[in-house]
Amino acid sequence: MGDAILVEDVYFSYEGLPVLKGVTLTVRTGEVLAIMGENGAGKTTLIKHFVGLLKPERGRVLVFGVDTREASVAQLARRVGVIFQNPDHQLFAESVEGEILFTLRNMGYPPDEARAICERVLKLFELDRYRGRSPYSLSVGERKRLAIAAVVSYNPDVLVLDEPTAGQDFFNKSKISRLIFGLKRQGKGVVVVTHDVEFAAQVADRVALMVDGRVIREGPAGEVLTDAEALKRARLTMPQIPAAAALLEAEGLKLPSKPLLPGSFYLELLDLLNHRWVGP
Amino acid sequence: MALVELKGVRFRYAGSDRYALDGASLSAERGEFVLLVGPSGCGKSTLLRVLNGLVPHFYEGDFEGEARVAGLDVRSTPTHVLARHVGMVFQDPENQLFLSSVEREIAFGLENLGLPRAEVRRRVREVLKEFNLESIKDRAPYELSGGQQQKVAIASVMALEPEILALDEPTANLDPLSALEILSLVKRLTSEKGVLALVVEHRLELALKFATRMVVMLDGRIVADGAPRDVLLRTGSIVGYPPVVVTHLLLKRRGLAEGSIPLTSEELARAVIGRWATRYS
Amino acid sequence: MSARVLDIFRFRRKRTPLHALDPRAKFVMLVALSAASLALSDAVSLSALLAVEAALLAVAKSLREWARSLAGLSTLLLLIFALNFLTLPADRLFVAAAMTLRFLCLTTAFSIFFLTTTADELAAALEVSGVPREYSMMFTMSLRFVPSLARDLQTVADALKSRGFELEKGGLKERVRNYTYLLVPLIVYELRRSIMVAEALEARGFGAAKKVEPYVDLSLRARDYVAIAVSAIALCAVIWVVASGVYGSFVNQVRAYFPQL
Repeated sequence: MGDAILVEDVYFSYEGLPVLKGVTLTVRTGEVLAIMGENGAGKTTLIKHFVGLLKPERGRVLVFGVDTREASVAQLARRVGVIFQNPDHQLFAESVEGEILFTLRNMGYPPDEARAICERVLKLFELDRYRGRSPYSLSVGERKRLAIAAVVSYNPDVLVLDEPTAGQDFFNKSKISRLIFGLKRQGKGVVVVTHDVEFAAQVADRVALMVDGRVIREGPAGEVLTDAEALKRARLTMPQIPAAAALLEAEGLKLPSKPLLPGSFYLELLDLLNHRWVGP
Repeated sequence: MALVELKGVRFRYAGSDRYALDGASLSAERGEFVLLVGPSGCGKSTLLRVLNGLVPHFYEGDFEGEARVAGLDVRSTPTHVLARHVGMVFQDPENQLFLSSVEREIAFGLENLGLPRAEVRRRVREVLKEFNLESIKDRAPYELSGGQQQKVAIASVMALEPEILALDEPTANLDPLSALEILSLVKRLTSEKGVLALVVEHRLELALKFATRMVVMLDGRIVADGAPRDVLLRTGSIVGYPPVVVTHLLLKRRGLAEGSIPLTSEELARAVIGRWATRYS
Repeated sequence: MSARVLDIFRFRRKRTPLHALDPRAKFVMLVALSAASLALSDAVSLSALLAVEAALLAVAKSLREWARSLAGLSTLLLLIFALNFLTLPADRLFVAAAMTLRFLCLTTAFSIFFLTTTADELAAALEVSGVPREYSMMFTMSLRFVPSLARDLQTVADALKSRGFELEKGGLKERVRNYTYLLVPLIVYELRRSIMVAEALEARGFGAAKKVEPYVDLSLRARDYVAIAVSAIALCAVIWVVASGVYGSFVNQVRAYFPQL
């Protein structure tokens, strides 16, 4: 794991209104970071700084050591791929295949290599049977996958996904989680901006909570997603499993670890109910 | 006759070769909170649009079967007449709020019905009060937070005093606390005013506890319909189990849980504590 | 530039006498100010007109918004000045300055109107004046969705740039072609949006009643009549001054005063 993006005391304002008020944050390769908080907290503004779409007014953003003020978006995008929330804002080609080839061409891949990559990516994202169709004829979930596929195709070191699960059904959500785990295994850094707490509990290694242009809490998912007070300030609810564990604790049944997911919670409960572990 | 009565409804959008609804039957009464779930493209949105006549009046296509809403035949009743019986709220607040203030937004539907100004004013005042919007009545809808915008959207259709409220993924763009506020508001309308609410929602962990009934759709058909716990247990492979249900099912396999599935963290915790107490006290 | 420039026409809610004026009175004011901007052709009287407009903006407590958007317009103003200056055979500085000022006066006249009038006030005024509700609503909608369109454009451009596409690369021809990449998703999305909006309108019973009484009670009060009277007198005065030749001799005097320009 290495540092990929360093955000150092960044300030930014839109039309005189401060949106980021001194944000410091590190994005690392090989881990999933969830940036959470209510709409208007500055999450999208922050991720636009990761590829230099916005430049800090104060402070600086370093992408693999390069100050974003000294590089073009096209250069930074080679290392940091951003997938915006609405797929309809980011499909540019006439066919599904063309969408991926378009991106690879921009990134300077020679045509032969681009073809080969395109084949692989279409299969990976289960989009190969639509290759000739217009991106706009696909379903919402498929359009979302295509937008992600186009960015994954050129192999950036960090992937940033803005609200990947908003409005997605169970199948698509599972596919997106699996994809994120796959990317992490390949050593990529993954950033998800989300207010889906269950999704964050499932995929995130680290969580940063943003409120009103500041990061108010940042740390391992197991700590941040169990901090009731901080979650409330960020207008989030506690995920179901830690919420249930907190209720048990309130009744004197304190578990030795802080589970986030059903699997680990179940193991703790097995111990508890089989009395292999005795509470304090 | 029930408030909503769909019998074998089939609908194919003009230009499509596939039936979006393929024999859907549903009957629902006042006061119900119906959670409508299913994979995207399963026909949930189309079903909601049948209720207020957007299908087949706004979206044309082949319509078969019978659809009656508040006693009116949807096929022969214009949308604006159905609008008085069915309030429809969409996913994106931005595209359903058009005017320059919350107050005007609420007046809009009433104006459209051609009511006299004094009557519109009176109803607007009532609605502002009922939905607790008086303090923001002069604000522009686009200046409000997403949660407040959806609240205004709901208030603006409720001004027409419909018996039915249809919400198409109303919380998809909201943070969880705002989402809970909106769903509680809808719940209150069902229990206090007897409104029938049909809510499309993917995040079961948020919505389940409000529902009195759950309907699951797949490929244009209704594949399960009934009490939320029963339906969820049968359709987990389609709609996904929330984490507390997964935990319950794991415990049950080891004989450490029984009875119906929990829908909330509280229910799961209570069951575990009960189990622990009977074993060791 | 881009979206910010449009801010000069975006309504801001404030409590000022100008905001409270009936939209019809403000419309007469707009007509008078625009007519004056077009009728006057020398830098001195146009500067005076601009001063009047600035005073109105001050009353509307909107000077700051106006000034900020002006910064965005500066490129355009400079361009107008430069084009006039470079292409005119004689009187270059004098006429170029006047042309630039005229554009500024005209923009400001519209800015005063739109900064202080909401789209639905305007729609109500149109309806009261006999324009059918469908058309007035169409007008409201087109204003309402300008900021949304600007935001969509920004997002699409951001997405395109993040895919390594360089919009500003190449010669003029290539750049124009680059921008078509922007337009496709934008048009598709705005079409989708228009369908969503139309659905929402239907769902709120739009078009149900033939006769609709607007919610806003537009009735002209004393201050509205005063505003209309003053604007009308000013308008007549400008027309008289120009038509009678008084203005022409004034301009000549001014020209004579600055022979070196």
